[in-house]
Amino acid sequence: MATVSPSVATAKVGDGMSIPRRIWRSYVLRRILRAIFIVWVVATGVFFLVRLLPGNPVDVYINTQIGQYGMTYDAAAAQAAALFSFDPGTPLWQQYLDYLGGIVRGDFGMSILSPGTSVTTKIATHLPWTLFSVGIALIISVSIGLLLGMTMAYRRGGFLDHAISTIGSTLHAIPNYLLALMIVVFGAVQLGIINYGQIRGKLSPGIEPEFSLAFVQDAFYHASLPILTYVLTTVGTWALIMKSSTTQILGEDYVMVARARGLTDGRIRTSYVGRNAVLPLVAQIATQAGFVVGGAIFVEKIFRYEGIGITLFDSVQARDYPVIQGVLLIVTITVVTANLLSDLVYSVLDPRIRSDEKEA
Amino acid sequence: MAQVTTAPTTGAANRGALRGFFRELTRSKTGFAGFVIVALILGMSALAPIFVDSSNPTDVDAIWGPPRAGHWLGTDGSGKDTLKQIVLGGQTVVLVGFLAAAITTVIAVVIGSLAAYIRGRFDGFMLQLTDIVMTIPQIVLLAVLGAFFSLDSPIALALIIGCLTWPVLMRSIRAQALSLKEREFVEAAKLLDLGTTRVVFGEIVPNMASYILINFIIAVTNAIYALVGLYVLGLAPLAGANWGIMINSAWIGGAMFLPAAMPYILAPIAMIALLQLGLIMLTRSLEEILNPRLRDK
Amino acid sequence: MPTTDPPKTDGPILSVRDLHVAYRTGDGKTVEAVRGVDFDLYPNQSLALVGESGCGKTTLGLGLLRLLPKLGSVPKGSITYNGRKGESVDVLALRKQELRKWRWRDAAMVFQGAMNSFNPVLRIIDQMGDTIRAHPDGERKPSKKEIWERSAEMLRAVRLEPNRVLPSYPHELSGGMRQRVLIAMSLLLDPKLLILDEPTTALDILTQRAIVDVLHELRAERKFAMVFISHDLAIAAELADRVATMYAGRIIETGTARDIFYGPRHPYTVGLIKAVPPVVGDLPELASIPGTPPSLSNLPSGCAFAPRCGYVEERCTSVDPELDPITERAAGQTHAAACVRWQDVVYERKVVAHA
Repeated sequence: MATVSPSVATAKVGDGMSIPRRIWRSYVLRRILRAIFIVWVVATGVFFLVRLLPGNPVDVYINTQIGQYGMTYDAAAAQAAALFSFDPGTPLWQQYLDYLGGIVRGDFGMSILSPGTSVTTKIATHLPWTLFSVGIALIISVSIGLLLGMTMAYRRGGFLDHAISTIGSTLHAIPNYLLALMIVVFGAVQLGIINYGQIRGKLSPGIEPEFSLAFVQDAFYHASLPILTYVLTTVGTWALIMKSSTTQILGEDYVMVARARGLTDGRIRTSYVGRNAVLPLVAQIATQAGFVVGGAIFVEKIFRYEGIGITLFDSVQARDYPVIQGVLLIVTITVVTANLLSDLVYSVLDPRIRSDEKEA
Repeated sequence: MAQVTTAPTTGAANRGALRGFFRELTRSKTGFAGFVIVALILGMSALAPIFVDSSNPTDVDAIWGPPRAGHWLGTDGSGKDTLKQIVLGGQTVVLVGFLAAAITTVIAVVIGSLAAYIRGRFDGFMLQLTDIVMTIPQIVLLAVLGAFFSLDSPIALALIIGCLTWPVLMRSIRAQALSLKEREFVEAAKLLDLGTTRVVFGEIVPNMASYILINFIIAVTNAIYALVGLYVLGLAPLAGANWGIMINSAWIGGAMFLPAAMPYILAPIAMIALLQLGLIMLTRSLEEILNPRLRDK
Repeated sequence: MPTTDPPKTDGPILSVRDLHVAYRTGDGKTVEAVRGVDFDLYPNQSLALVGESGCGKTTLGLGLLRLLPKLGSVPKGSITYNGRKGESVDVLALRKQELRKWRWRDAAMVFQGAMNSFNPVLRIIDQMGDTIRAHPDGERKPSKKEIWERSAEMLRAVRLEPNRVLPSYPHELSGGMRQRVLIAMSLLLDPKLLILDEPTTALDILTQRAIVDVLHELRAERKFAMVFISHDLAIAAELADRVATMYAGRIIETGTARDIFYGPRHPYTVGLIKAVPPVVGDLPELASIPGTPPSLSNLPSGCAFAPRCGYVEERCTSVDPELDPITERAAGQTHAAACVRWQDVVYERKVVAHA
């Protein structure tokens, strides 16, 4: 490494030296390119699924239109084109490029189920609610799980340890949609704590999205049951991951050396144990996020929460292919982005990754 | 936990290991409990159709009847006996679950162990593919594919679930196979020029048998999660009666809000949760038992 | 730069009396890894603790700073540290906060295998800073500049380039560098007692040389007492004023380096010396000690070395000998051996081949 002047060396993290910075940036670049690649593959896969399979939705639609409404092929094809946002007269490779272009522009076609509504509109009105509920749930779940896990590790074999392990594993065994159902059954029906009629849906009638306290309060009120379900089904996993990770770190040499150096317990717990134990957790966040998003399709249906899950559900039932296509792509993009973010966060937290990538 | 020696490589050693295995299982309370639960539910699902007649007459006078003699769990929205539905309702769930898990396991084992052994571009390609498939949430993928391919029979359901959920499993198998690849018996087999198929499926895979078993059971829990979910949502064929369909009809029929319908709603939920719990307890203790063997590298 | 005050006392800086360290084993039993160790260490003196693996030397080292794992305990004995201001500290009785303050400031330890002694996610400068900030001088918090300068000074003392090392993460440094950083960090607060556990093991010859030289320089400059634990007799010969050999949890011979290396009187020590060939000069006969060290949970009665000893007689199996003085000297430098037949023990090495 070239000699570095003392002033640069005393700089904080962030405005570090030029050479490592370039390397770090290329790691970011590589992850981004990879994310785009995955989205592209899924988009292409869907394209071929929709167009090329025998009995594929486009042909089925065209035939239905011809058979049921007596349209000519051209008219039916034109309608299909408008719906699926492609031009049947052009060769396949052109359709493919148009399709990709449409995606980049945000044009996914028109919904069959809700005529006149573009798929993009449908997604745009529903996706934020899912992101909101899943996001909040993840934050709560990870925070609680983290604290629980660390406490369990510090007091191994204690009451908390056994209690949480048992409860966590039991909750984990119950599928999240069944848990949601049980919450409705017990909470609303049996115990009358929750007013199901009121709490379902994403907002109470009459409340408009705007930056007001009433809106925020109402949004949280309605999202509380989905969030509760997500949290209950995942918090056990986080706690157990954190516990095993913390237990492992506690056995590391540098923790003992830190004690020998006379560092305070608090400092050791946060910067020495915590910062290292949290790494596997961060690595898992993206995969768990994907799982929760998948579970949203059930949970939102049960609580009638109008997020992307319900959209997918309804469109699948009604065979609204443009919407299905769009939702699949959006979900993929969301999960890929979540993966990307968590990788980036991980590389910030663990300097060893940045150097490894340099050699890779 | 008793000390186990080396990983068995012969059939006779495997049989001896099996006996020892059951002995170990009874030592762990959770494991044994899990095993009992799973065995009971499997037994009930398999044998009930033989012994219990499937006729379940509707009885308009007995709609949402409470538990009483002759109807231990009460009656449902059309007066049919709930208990009978519970007892007979596990069949599809168990069948589809295990079938899907079997399909997944076979695919994952074949691809995973071949990828680990051959490495090179095949391995690279498989890793990329699994990465991409793993990105999409499983349920979303299932729901979408369920829309494109009609799920008109439990077998179709099992097929689709089986063909979609192998990536995660494949990764684990591949990792395990990679570590086994370096062992001497593989070297020996290679030197004997036994050919790829023989080495992979004759040597490596049998030595992962316990690992594969554990992952198979985990795959069953995943499959059950997926298939029951699809039934509850009504995305899977609603013909016949199984636990998932019971929950679905309770949901659709608005029975959720009737206190009298509680047994009807809770019983299938309890059965599913119990089955999943039993399977998970089984895997936990299996992992404990079999880990010493896996770790003797 | 912290002043190196000479200690205000003529007495020992560290007094260990009848120290026992025990571990709880898996099946509830306890095994003593250290079975009654006595020694005094005087200021600016260096003592080498030598012995085979499992003889208890590492446990003893850890015990001195109360760094034993959860399963370890001190059922008997005392450790007294006599500080630079003349205060006498009962180390075993220190409460948590006092222990925390005492550690590193008065007595520090350099651990075996510096590979994993650093927090992988913090830069070296931050870890140095942690150490300094944990031991503030009164109410004043040290500034960043101060921390940098004190750390840089210590790094230069171990022959490392501060600008290269301080902003780095531990994984960016080689093993030898990390070991030296650990030494630098241990002297950061200018302790008067430094314990080193196998400081040169797992390092290549050139790095070992560098570390030995560095330790020489540091001792000359800062005048601290040193306990270093090693199975490497050559290093011990270089760095030690005094040597104590340990066997099965007890010190069985102690004396000056000269005593031990040129005139050992315990059969075990003799065996140890004879097992090491010199690099230059004539090649003497090499002999390894037959047998293996005893299991600490199953010790023979009487002298623990009796089963392997060439000088064994009747009374050796009934009496576990105490350290018997051979040559009395001051300041802990008495040559003593725990053997009833030390007078008969002869150390001679026949030359097998001429250089």
